[in-house]
Amino acid sequence: MVPILIALIIGLPWLGALLVWLAGDRRPGLQHGLAAGFAAAAGAAALALLLVYRQGGSLTFAMGPAFGEFSFAPDGLGIFLSIIAAVVGALAVVFSVDYMRGSPQLGRYYAMVLFFIGAMAGLVLTTNLLLMFFFWEITALCSYALISFYNDDPKAVAGGMKALIMTQLGGVGLLLGAALSYAYLGSFDLAVFLAQAGGLPADVLQVLAFGFLAAAAAKSAQFPFQTWLPDAMEAPTPVSALIHAATMVNAGVYLLARFYPAFAGVPYWRESVMLVGVLSALLAAMMALVAVDLKRVLAYSTVSQLGYMVYAVGAGGVFASQFHLLSHSLFKALLFLAAGAVIHSLGTRDMREMGDVRRVMPITRTVFVIGAAALAGLPFLNGFWSKELVLEAGLKHGPLWMYAAMLFTAGLTALYTFRCVWMVFYGPPKERQHAHEAGRWMRAALYPLAFGALTTWLLAGPFSTLLGETLPFHEIHPEPTQAFLIEVLAAPATWLALGVVALGLLAWQLRAHLALISEPLQDLGRLAGASFGFEALNRLIVRSVQSAAEDLRGLQTGLLNWNILGIVAALVIVLLVAALGA
Amino acid sequence: MNVGIVVLAITGLLAIGLYALLVARNLIKVFVALQILVKGAMLAMLAAGQIAGKAQVGESMALTVIVADTIVAVVGLALAVQLRRHFGTLDVRAFSTLKR
Repeated sequence: MVPILIALIIGLPWLGALLVWLAGDRRPGLQHGLAAGFAAAAGAAALALLLVYRQGGSLTFAMGPAFGEFSFAPDGLGIFLSIIAAVVGALAVVFSVDYMRGSPQLGRYYAMVLFFIGAMAGLVLTTNLLLMFFFWEITALCSYALISFYNDDPKAVAGGMKALIMTQLGGVGLLLGAALSYAYLGSFDLAVFLAQAGGLPADVLQVLAFGFLAAAAAKSAQFPFQTWLPDAMEAPTPVSALIHAATMVNAGVYLLARFYPAFAGVPYWRESVMLVGVLSALLAAMMALVAVDLKRVLAYSTVSQLGYMVYAVGAGGVFASQFHLLSHSLFKALLFLAAGAVIHSLGTRDMREMGDVRRVMPITRTVFVIGAAALAGLPFLNGFWSKELVLEAGLKHGPLWMYAAMLFTAGLTALYTFRCVWMVFYGPPKERQHAHEAGRWMRAALYPLAFGALTTWLLAGPFSTLLGETLPFHEIHPEPTQAFLIEVLAAPATWLALGVVALGLLAWQLRAHLALISEPLQDLGRLAGASFGFEALNRLIVRSVQSAAEDLRGLQTGLLNWNILGIVAALVIVLLVAALGA
Repeated sequence: MNVGIVVLAITGLLAIGLYALLVARNLIKVFVALQILVKGAMLAMLAAGQIAGKAQVGESMALTVIVADTIVAVVGLALAVQLRRHFGTLDVRAFSTLKR
């Protein structure tokens, strides 16, 4: 049963991708139907996996001695993330039925989305490092293709390239990990790696640990790679919800959590992971505070929340990080899709041109506020419980100043979230012609996510059982839900965090009276608006690569004899090095 | 089998091939040089198979290379004919027009 379900979760979306493409762009109705049907079927298969995973079993393709076996096995992390990929994927596709109606080249859009869903499920379910790398790159490819979906818009094309290049840098770290694992352990298998990582030479393990950290930071848009995610917002909004909020950007956190037992002992690794998380969370929250593009605000908040998860993994709170990942993927997908409904209705992404949208879109307003409250960590939504668990893990196992920074970020989160809600849904009304409430299919995708944001914290107990039972190396202790709730409510840290969140909200309420404080902060705001110089750094790197390529052009003579001379010279150098080295 | 003679033959073929590639300016001569070079590599495979005690592996690799090598020669000579018609010369220096 388990192997069949795994094959279905990965195979159904890929089959759907092929069929949507074959259906052709002249039959958009059929394309919508096929995409939604196959995505929903994959979601159902993923949920069914939850019922039968205890039976065990795995899906294995023997690939001969060179690559090990291409095998897929369900464990807690894999099941849970594949469910998120398939279910949120299905909801995003259903949402697209309204959002993408009348858009040209639907086949390309749906094929890429479905291809992505299957690859994401494969990435988290596989137990083979090499295969994991393949799936990792497929998700990057789909992300690139979908960011650049509107390929006559230069901004979309540039954003796609930027995302591809930056995540590619990280992929090298993962490939290096797979190669070193094979070189030293003779296997690509994850279980072998986790069991025998202690036996690796210390310097090799160190290279691996920091290589994987770089891979995770690039994929999850963490410091110092955070700049690609805001530019990825040129993608159609359902894609932003699925790939750039709920699934692909979590792959980095997944990677860190998956390999945490192997790397926890590497000197300075845990501290570096926590530092990356803290810097990402804090800087992105400040940038979210000054951004005026609705989707960019959400993108910065995604970077910030991913920072919380990375921080939790570094502090050893693997369960807390994964629980926050679950909460975040639901409420952030909800926020993105609701924002998509607003953007679709108003035809603009600039929050300064919005205001008083609640009058036209009361349903969207309600679900957006639910998502925003969960993001701000207000009790008793899912974001509250998971964020408190993250902060608690950080307080217990991390330095105090990092905890303080994260606490401050929680206050900032509340502040920018409610600034965004106010600017879009309340605020002074603006002139507009064609606003309308979200369509039927859009609402069909929004309701389940809003329900999830309200209720998934009740799953803390079963979730810890799932992770604890199936991850032998992570030392996660299953506890009933009540135990978690009491633990959170009894911790003084919770009330401290709530106080900070309340301060953040108060700061927004009293913003007019706070001029005395906010005046000196103008410079900081300008700095945040310029993304703290990281965009300038990116441009500098791009320019220097281009000019270096231009300078090297002279070496390409196009003359055969010169090329041969180069080959011979290189051969001589290699032989010399080999002779001297040996 | 005298290993010394075989190694000498391999090195000689490779050296002649490389040197010819380095100095040849006529495209036909370039192909001839390429053939000599590949023959040296093939001989190396056969010898390596013999020395490692897996003669059949070396021989099957060499056979594969013969097939690929033949195709390269055929396609290359066909290209040479077209280039001669287009440029009116077989001098490789005339063919670096992509550069401009």
